[in-house]
Amino acid sequence: MPPSETGARRVRRVRASRTPYLLLAPAALVLGVIYGYPLVRLLGISMQDYGLRALFTGSSPWIWFANYEHVFTGGQFVPVLIRTFVFCVALVAGTLLIGMFVALMLGSLGRRMRGAVTLCLICAWAVPNVAATLVWQWLFEPGYGVVNWLLSRLGVFGDLTNRQWFASAFSAFVVVWLLVVWQSVPFVALTLRAGLSQIPRSYYETAALAGAGAWTMFRLVTLQFLRPILLLVGILSVVWDFNVFNQIWILTQGGPDGGTTTLGIWSFTQAFSSESFGQGAAVAVVSVALLLLLTAAYVRRLISAGEEW
Amino acid sequence: MKSRRTRRRFALNTAATVFCLVWIFPVYWMVNTAFKPYGDILRPTPGFLPIPLSLGNFTDALGKPMFGDYLRNSLIVTGTAVIASSLLALFAAVALTRFRFFGRRTFLITVLAIQMVPTPALVIPIFLTLKGANLLNTLLGLALTYIGFVLPFTIWTLRGFLHGIPVELEEAAMVDGAGRLTVLRRILLPLIAPGLIASSVFAFITAWNDYVFAYVEMKDQGHYTLPVWLVSFSTSTGVDYGGLIAGSTLFALPVIVFFLLIQRRLVEGMTSGAVKD
Repeated sequence: MPPSETGARRVRRVRASRTPYLLLAPAALVLGVIYGYPLVRLLGISMQDYGLRALFTGSSPWIWFANYEHVFTGGQFVPVLIRTFVFCVALVAGTLLIGMFVALMLGSLGRRMRGAVTLCLICAWAVPNVAATLVWQWLFEPGYGVVNWLLSRLGVFGDLTNRQWFASAFSAFVVVWLLVVWQSVPFVALTLRAGLSQIPRSYYETAALAGAGAWTMFRLVTLQFLRPILLLVGILSVVWDFNVFNQIWILTQGGPDGGTTTLGIWSFTQAFSSESFGQGAAVAVVSVALLLLLTAAYVRRLISAGEEW
Repeated sequence: MKSRRTRRRFALNTAATVFCLVWIFPVYWMVNTAFKPYGDILRPTPGFLPIPLSLGNFTDALGKPMFGDYLRNSLIVTGTAVIASSLLALFAAVALTRFRFFGRRTFLITVLAIQMVPTPALVIPIFLTLKGANLLNTLLGLALTYIGFVLPFTIWTLRGFLHGIPVELEEAAMVDGAGRLTVLRRILLPLIAPGLIASSVFAFITAWNDYVFAYVEMKDQGHYTLPVWLVSFSTSTGVDYGGLIAGSTLFALPVIVFFLLIQRRLVEGMTSGAVKD
């Protein structure tokens, strides 16, 4: 083989092996700027005295774990943590239960009714977060809100016309819960519906022949078959509901008296209202770590699935 | 037996009807409020139909000072995010599916794992980073933020689509003398068009809907996007609910239209990802 030919071949191979990196570089760069660097920076800021002074002078001395100490010992941490967890669990449970119910219902409805339900789901899903939150504020407006009016007409709860929903933490959470569940059920219901439609009919027929009742069939066939999708939907719900921000921020700003302050809201107010970016970052790091713990099993599975790619 | 079945059918249809009424109610009330005459909105007994129909709230919202600016800002930022993220993700997806190289799997896992990072936790460092780069309060900075946020999903979606296209198709074209660029343009692009549409819609919705990052990054009122303006409108004293809800309706409209347009693909695309991985 003449040397010139091997030379040409080698050049082509070198170029071919550089192409993927060139193609990948812009995306990797943006991901580094928007995710990578900020994540590292977040960790850094959480260990610095980063306040108003740092914003202007640019000097932010390292104080290591002082921010964390402040966060953990300030007396606010435990209530905020409990609030965040309970609210997250309530949201995930509500979304999955209603979503599952709707998915099962869709399967046994007639064509026209199914279309109507799907249309309602997609409309609710499509309304932007901010628009939905503002509509909620209007629905529950003291004095003129239609929900106050309707509940008063029901007569079960007495006269609620002038009810200030956001004056107590509990009722504020109920209103936000309704909003978030209303928006998240469509995704869950339609995803589970798609999963349900893939279960072979013969499974149910076999189970029926074996004398299984409706509940046993649901447990042994439906739930078993749906498990991977339920897991996925469950994890995504945990991640989303743990991080609910806009709805709480716009409706209550964490009030009354910090009664609806979750980890996300706390981190935000520490940074942007009290101008203590260091402590806000410490809260954010804690919440990322907690979320990582909650989803660790799933992330591990992702990585082991990655072995096959 | 038969009566039991009809009773079951009846119960099911009742449940479905109740569900529909509850779920559509907020949307119905939004539209109903938006089309009411201004004086009919703050009534002790709410009217359930917008009679007489009025466009007053819409002209009110559109006539607010700088509405045009907010709309333009939203469109610029969203448009940039959609175009740039599609382009970058397409390149990345080609690299990930058509080449074997060192670091490929790590990149894929990173892209997946990154979606687990809660974006609210990134508000502080992104704010400070953009401040350091003098990109705070600029549309470019905000667009960059959105491109980053949608990239993982767009890369993942396009990778899935490209994965399903046999390489032989491209090889055949290359044997016939087509260059890589021609292959990309004439063969791959038409085949992954549905994937590009899906990921563009997703990018549009993410950028169009975002509130926190725009709220934090844009300090000048002239740089507000629509959601930031809507919220600032709602917290001003003596909220003008007619204008606010009409504004929200206009803001929600393009997204609802998009969702209805890609309705079938929405469920399909979502689940193809969910079932396979």
